[in-house]
Amino acid sequence: MLYSKYLKMHFKSTFQYRLNMFITSFAQIIINIGEVIAVWMLFDRFDSVGQWTFYQSLLMMGIIFTTFSFTECFARGYDEFPKLIKSGQLDRMLIRPVNLHYQIFGSKIEFTKLGRTFLGIVISVIALINMNIDWNIWKVLVLIATFLCGIVVIFGLFVFSAGVSIYTIENLEFLNILTNGSKEIAYYPINIYNKWLARFFTFVIPIACFNYLPLSFITGIGILPSWLCGTAPLLGMFFVVPCILFFNFSLRKYQSSGT
Amino acid sequence: MKSYLGIFKMEFKGELQYRSKAISGIFTQFFWGILQILLYAAFMSDGMVDGFSINQMASYIWLGQAFFVMRYITLPNKVGDQIIDGNVCYKFVRPINLYNQWYSEHLGQKIASTLLRFPIIIIIALFLPAGLGLSMPVSALAFVLFLISLFLGCFLSVSISMFAVYFIFKTLSTKGAVTLVSTISGLLGGMYIPLPLMPDILQKVLNYLPFRYISDFPFRIYIGNVSINEALIQIGISLAWLLIIIVLGKLLMNRALKKTIIQGG
Repeated sequence: MLYSKYLKMHFKSTFQYRLNMFITSFAQIIINIGEVIAVWMLFDRFDSVGQWTFYQSLLMMGIIFTTFSFTECFARGYDEFPKLIKSGQLDRMLIRPVNLHYQIFGSKIEFTKLGRTFLGIVISVIALINMNIDWNIWKVLVLIATFLCGIVVIFGLFVFSAGVSIYTIENLEFLNILTNGSKEIAYYPINIYNKWLARFFTFVIPIACFNYLPLSFITGIGILPSWLCGTAPLLGMFFVVPCILFFNFSLRKYQSSGT
Repeated sequence: MKSYLGIFKMEFKGELQYRSKAISGIFTQFFWGILQILLYAAFMSDGMVDGFSINQMASYIWLGQAFFVMRYITLPNKVGDQIIDGNVCYKFVRPINLYNQWYSEHLGQKIASTLLRFPIIIIIALFLPAGLGLSMPVSALAFVLFLISLFLGCFLSVSISMFAVYFIFKTLSTKGAVTLVSTISGLLGGMYIPLPLMPDILQKVLNYLPFRYISDFPFRIYIGNVSINEALIQIGISLAWLLIIIVLGKLLMNRALKKTIIQGG
């Protein structure tokens, strides 16, 4: 299969510079550990925020670290779409008889991001162990759906900003706020924020669907009905549909950058 | 000294050209500022933590955003590139001190980049409603001390980032070295979360370390969280730290340079 060839190629090229790969992964993990320590310090001082305590917030962090870095690793092509446009690589892709999305996925796979994914999983497990949850099959399913939803929603954000960059060509700063801002918002259960901000990140960009809604289902804390919280991760995944439609629509307007 | 001033001026003027970069930077800074204020306000729902009020917190955050470039520990990319690709050898043959040269380059960029960004952020933040915006400084004297300590903090920030140069020489990786130095000093200096929101014991320890003197200390003079007398003493401490770090940085760099081998090319 073509994708396995892409995988092998990127894997080999990353492992050519083994030391560099480890240092890059290590550097990224250091930043995340710094962020975890900062959150720990805040909770050490304040015990709780709203109804949430440290380990619940830590789970939110674990989820976003895992899902964001996983998406960054495999969908890096969308994240760096302006590069594909400017280098003319997109033009070359368009004339090949292979689906464009397939090629964008294959254009870049950044294995160094998986260090963060691993850290995210470790953090999530630590948080879950310390949360005293009465597990049942539904909670396990919702938790799995939460991780999937995170990956899908973040992928949607990448696709959307790639779509915008077809018009702007440059990678604009506000697109960066869209993706990185969504990431940092998700470090905490988002209903602690101002209600308009929380609404924006529930109904426009459904961060809440892999953040406090499923958390509320798993812990039983919160005022919303549990069926709604439980299905939220599934509903949130639909976010990717308009993003892909927008991207495909923009692509039809695409005129080469002239490279 | 004259040649270093020349380097400083050159970098300063060069950095002033990047206006559109500064504008998009300001945009980002606003977003993060508001986000952080909303976050800490949620934590500080009681309104006050050990004499640190929500208004003071908001001012602290805005100052942090306005002087973000100054307090953020990083290195100009070209320093790392020069070390790794070996072009640093051309610097060795020049009759100027390498540490001083990179120091003045970095300082020039930092100051110019800060001057481009801070006025707009400060002005807009002053007009935001209380609890979300920047307050005026507590007193004229505090403001003067704030400026002095901020100026020292800028030098301190550059001095600490020069440590990363040593690690680049050792590991030949810019990313790893800079991230390590920047994360440690950011965490201990109040970049990740403001010092007054940290656990008490940690705050006591951090008072003796240099990192908080980059920005936490000046900001707290501004918001009146540090008394004038205390501020005068601590300005002395930060001066001492500045000297120690520069001397230490120079020693480390000399050590690294002695062992440097340029491999052909």
